[in-house]
Amino acid sequence: MADRTGMVDPAIFEDLQARIDEETSVREELRGIIQNKAVQFILARAHSTPAYAFSKLVSDASLAIEDEVKIIAKLSQAAEKLPYYKWNTMWSRQIQDATYGILLCGWLGGNGSDSQPGRLLTIEEVGGIMNVPVNLKGRDGFHLTIEEYLQALISLVDELARLARNSVTLGDYLIPILISQFIKDLHAGFQILNLKNDSLRRRSDGIKYRVKEVEDVVYDLSLRNLIPKDDKGKKDDAT
Amino acid sequence: MEEPSKRQSTSPVMAMFEGFRSELDEHHDRRERMIKASRDITAASKKIVRALNKPLPGFVAKSNAQYWGIIQTQYKNISRDLQGLNAYRYGRNITGGNQEFMEALSFQHYLEHQNLITYKEANDYVAKLGGEGGPVLLTTEDYILGIFDMVGELMRFAITAMATSGELPGTLVQEDVTSRESHDEQAGDSMDVEQPSTTRTQHPQKRDVLADLRELRLCLEGLEPSRGSKFEGDAEKKMTVMRQCVEKVETALYGLIVRGQERPKGWVPDLREERRGAEAIEGY
Repeated sequence: MADRTGMVDPAIFEDLQARIDEETSVREELRGIIQNKAVQFILARAHSTPAYAFSKLVSDASLAIEDEVKIIAKLSQAAEKLPYYKWNTMWSRQIQDATYGILLCGWLGGNGSDSQPGRLLTIEEVGGIMNVPVNLKGRDGFHLTIEEYLQALISLVDELARLARNSVTLGDYLIPILISQFIKDLHAGFQILNLKNDSLRRRSDGIKYRVKEVEDVVYDLSLRNLIPKDDKGKKDDAT
Repeated sequence: MEEPSKRQSTSPVMAMFEGFRSELDEHHDRRERMIKASRDITAASKKIVRALNKPLPGFVAKSNAQYWGIIQTQYKNISRDLQGLNAYRYGRNITGGNQEFMEALSFQHYLEHQNLITYKEANDYVAKLGGEGGPVLLTTEDYILGIFDMVGELMRFAITAMATSGELPGTLVQEDVTSRESHDEQAGDSMDVEQPSTTRTQHPQKRDVLADLRELRLCLEGLEPSRGSKFEGDAEKKMTVMRQCVEKVETALYGLIVRGQERPKGWVPDLREERRGAEAIEGY
């Protein structure tokens, strides 16, 4: 300030650099927290696990989810004091993956689904498992957003379409019917959203192909009379 | 898909998605209001800058009043949607307007005071425009990127002034310019462009636009953005253009010194490729 003969007060850029440096250290702290994939690795085994053995898979995954929740707690603590939307792109992907893991685990019968496959966990339930608020509006803080939940739903749909085929390979002909109905419900849900031309829109456009893929599986099964008779009601609804 | 309509009322999934729909609609509406405001602020700011570049300052102040008015209205309209959590959520939609406005504000400030508006002054100014809805946030990124653009305007200002008056516009300063020169040398890696400064140190009492441009250049080059941030990329792009702007004035001054006497008054240096930042990058 003393030698202010020039155009620029040196304090201006010192101050700016100090602010930038502060952000750099926040960025590094956050980056240190975010890294985990264990849940997805465990749940990938669903493709080679018959439905009656899901419970073992689910309990393994639940343990991994617990670890993940601990990381999220750490992240949420670090991020709580920061403006959420200034930083959320740093972890949004990881939160989507975690949400997807929890959703899939829930669908397979975990997370309080009483071992019955086919259940959709709501955003509130996912937030409850993660121990974070959802869709915060009134105040600034760490939370799970609707967009992240929807992105995870799309990942779930993709994965279930794959599971439909693979469960047939394992000799389970009921799971595809369950999946078919489930995906159709979600597809109908996505249909009513007014999505803009963003990644949510582009990814959700793919759901209709997943619906068709699973319908084809169900068609193949019913054509060959492979669908167990006691599930008649469900079959009619699905095909 | 005829089926969904049948199921719509019964499925709990549907009820859930209806909730999502209203949330997302609210978000998109707000986002679009931001984008619209950002565009209007950009347009008005550009008009201000263009008018400021005309050599009729008194007249300009009056005709620009309407654009300042437009900007104020826009900020006032959106400020309510830019509070708390939403300040950064929609920050990315308004940043374009903020930067452009920052360019106009800092340029006007320079013409009036011959110095750089501080971040605090700029932030306070923008905050005030928010009116009853609450202060609008001007981020440091908005500020810095606006300053980058302002260098381009200073360049145009300098070239126009040289063409019309035959010399660089400047002001008298009380203290010796050479003291600041030594300060610059510690900071900078821009020694390669310092040669023409001999023309200036012959009359050290005068501080001109080129000296200011060089000082700005050094300051901007000295900033170290966070690795991997969006700002890093933005600043890098603007850095190239900013350097070219300073060099253009240096080249023009060189031309003026070497051949200046032979040129008639009103001669404009041939710098046609300078039009706008983005194009300048491509040509680079």
